[in-house]
Amino acid sequence: MAAGCATPTGLPGPGTLNLALNRSLVSLDNKLNQFDAAVTVQRGVREALTRLTPDLKLHMVLAERFELTKPNSWTVRLREGIRYSDNSPVEIADITTALEMYRGTTGGFLATFFPEWPKVVKIDDRTFRMDTEAPLPILDYLMANILITPAKANKPEELQGGVGTGPYVVSEADRGAGNYLLDANPNYWGVKPAVSRVQVRFLPEESSRVVSLRSGEIDVIDSISPDSVEQLRGLPGVTIETRPGTRLTHLFYNFRKPKTHPLADPKVREALSYAINGPALIGDILQSSVVQATGVVPPDVAGAGKVGAFSYDPDKAKSMLNSLGVRDLNMKIIWESGEFASDTQVLEAVYEMLRAVGVRPTLQQFQPGGDISTWRQGKGGDWDLVANGYPSPTGLAITMMQGMYAGTEEKEKTRDTYHGYVFPAITRQIAAASSEIDEGRRTMLLERVQRDIWQTWPAMWAFAPKAVVAHRNRVGGLQLGANNSYDLTAVRLEV
Amino acid sequence: MTRYLIKRLGQSLLTIFLTVSTVFILVRLAPGDPAQAYAGPFATTEQLEEVRRQFGLDRPILEQYWVFLKGLVRGDLGTSFSFQAPALDVVLDRLPYTITLAVSAILLTTVISVPLGVWMAKRHDTRRELGANVAAIAGQSMPEFWTGTVLLTIFAVLIPVLPASSFTTWGGLILPTITIAIMQIALISRLLRREMVTNFAAPYLTVARSRGVSERRLTWRYAMGNASVPVVTALGTRFAAMLNGVVVVEVVFAWPGVGTLVVRALETRDYPLIVATVLITSMLAILVQLLVDLCYPLLDPRVRLGKASA
Repeated sequence: MAAGCATPTGLPGPGTLNLALNRSLVSLDNKLNQFDAAVTVQRGVREALTRLTPDLKLHMVLAERFELTKPNSWTVRLREGIRYSDNSPVEIADITTALEMYRGTTGGFLATFFPEWPKVVKIDDRTFRMDTEAPLPILDYLMANILITPAKANKPEELQGGVGTGPYVVSEADRGAGNYLLDANPNYWGVKPAVSRVQVRFLPEESSRVVSLRSGEIDVIDSISPDSVEQLRGLPGVTIETRPGTRLTHLFYNFRKPKTHPLADPKVREALSYAINGPALIGDILQSSVVQATGVVPPDVAGAGKVGAFSYDPDKAKSMLNSLGVRDLNMKIIWESGEFASDTQVLEAVYEMLRAVGVRPTLQQFQPGGDISTWRQGKGGDWDLVANGYPSPTGLAITMMQGMYAGTEEKEKTRDTYHGYVFPAITRQIAAASSEIDEGRRTMLLERVQRDIWQTWPAMWAFAPKAVVAHRNRVGGLQLGANNSYDLTAVRLEV
Repeated sequence: MTRYLIKRLGQSLLTIFLTVSTVFILVRLAPGDPAQAYAGPFATTEQLEEVRRQFGLDRPILEQYWVFLKGLVRGDLGTSFSFQAPALDVVLDRLPYTITLAVSAILLTTVISVPLGVWMAKRHDTRRELGANVAAIAGQSMPEFWTGTVLLTIFAVLIPVLPASSFTTWGGLILPTITIAIMQIALISRLLRREMVTNFAAPYLTVARSRGVSERRLTWRYAMGNASVPVVTALGTRFAAMLNGVVVVEVVFAWPGVGTLVVRALETRDYPLIVATVLITSMLAILVQLLVDLCYPLLDPRVRLGKASA
């Protein structure tokens, strides 16, 4: 049961990097799971055609070339001579199969990001086309999420095995406990990793992760609350790394309200936003672990526009509400515990801020695994505001906008829009931007539609949590990415 | 004895069946959607329906129950939604960790609490006994998460001689064992003290003492013989509870046992995993209780299993 790479006191050996994850990594595949730090480990074993750099730029991995050769066709050339850890070669059939398996995975999270799945057409042994019906100018970004596995070993489910082309191979796996031991892949095609062994452990409790880091037993931890960051900051031997993140957390209005309801009026939604003292929430409760949104997506994702600003002006909020004839507005705010750091404190503060402008808020907190999804779909009960986060695994503004703001009447019939947000003109603009192959024009379209979305005041307040990890000082070369992951091959251990 | 065992076995099977059936129904009536937990918060209605179909959750509860019963007979408790592996295997993978922790905690508890309880009984109503009693009450009052955190801070951070979490080395067993044992030692030693004091004051001991029986024999043979039945019962009950997972301690020390598995299964509404965990832990608890019952005639010859007490 006890892994063999730790010293009797639990301290890692000199050549072993010890990582602690906050969630159990039941698989090294990402068809169902792609949460923050898991990406780090998954990409240590399996690779995609492309990947995102820490600053969300595209980097070629298994693909040597990935070019848009026609509006609805990409040409891809695989690197020569790349082999999996089982020594079988990477083939075009593996790409075809991978796409089929991701598409066929029940509940797979990537389906929502692919407007359509491309068709692979082989040109020669290393070159193939990826054709789509409509132009898909972000396919190279989307393919960064499709991890490649030998076709014969791939299935439409999370794979239990660990055969990949990555810099590490799986030496031990205890899925039940969420612990893995990775050793450097001796046949890795790229730059060999500086750390020969990586131990991945599942430590769900934040205090355990913090204590383990302080004791030196764990080298890197993530998913740390602002309080823990403060506790760790300045400790000898510990370094905190932060950078702007790709997740948006917002207090989103319920857009399923009847037209006669005050919240159906964008002016009322705007007025309410002036009640929220964002800087105080960020400074006093969130301890500067987030940045206030300046638009409808996180400020640092590719394509984000600075299209608005939340400002605190309770007098303006009161006078606007008065002039709009809104008095004693009842507002139910719902959220799930742990949706973001210090969630309860933030919402209790929001409660007081709303009361200060004459609103009568009520708070309803859901336990993880409870019914909030049913409520968010409007099937559980009535509510007015939901505190909710939305991720961007692609690092692109456009995929977030497709998920949040491209609702249609058709989708709303099955309650599959984002909290009832249906504005046909905006949906059309997002579709136009999504299929625009000219980058300059796409950027312009994106900016315009973000301005239009802002004018609908979809959120009372929004912020982007910063990506954060804490690591022992013996860990060098760790370049934290905006998606809260890092490249294991760049990490080194200093003796 | 054989009749007793058969009867107990029948009772145990019925208890397990009723427990598992109740849990099977209750988890399905509780709020939450396993499909949503599996597919994530942004899954579409179509995706959720597909997940429910795949897991068999689209069928009526009675039909699900019937399928479950048929599987139960074959030893198949279904596939864990989150692990995508047989639920029974997932639980059995975690069980050695829980058993290791429970056995070490109960051993430490026994080794310390029995001599301590006897020592306190022999010095009852003295200042030294009062001091020990206060310490025991303090141990009983300390919540395990607090004890665990204090021990971690001292022995893993300030004086880093022991691992802080998980079970990467055998040293990792020490702090969680002590954390559990502190409360159990307090409970058992005070129980034993009370029983022993009662026995020390009993007429049979006065008679034995007047007949010249040694103090050592009076303590360990006579008084302990009579005090041991409630103590063994308490130890058995505590051990059975530990086998159900010491959730708080497992969370504090990131111990990969059944307790944290249950928490995870409940959070993800992993029905097969919840039922498998309940089945295995209730079987273990009943087995422990049976073993404790079988010990009674050995501890007290007046006890005859399966017959009315004399």
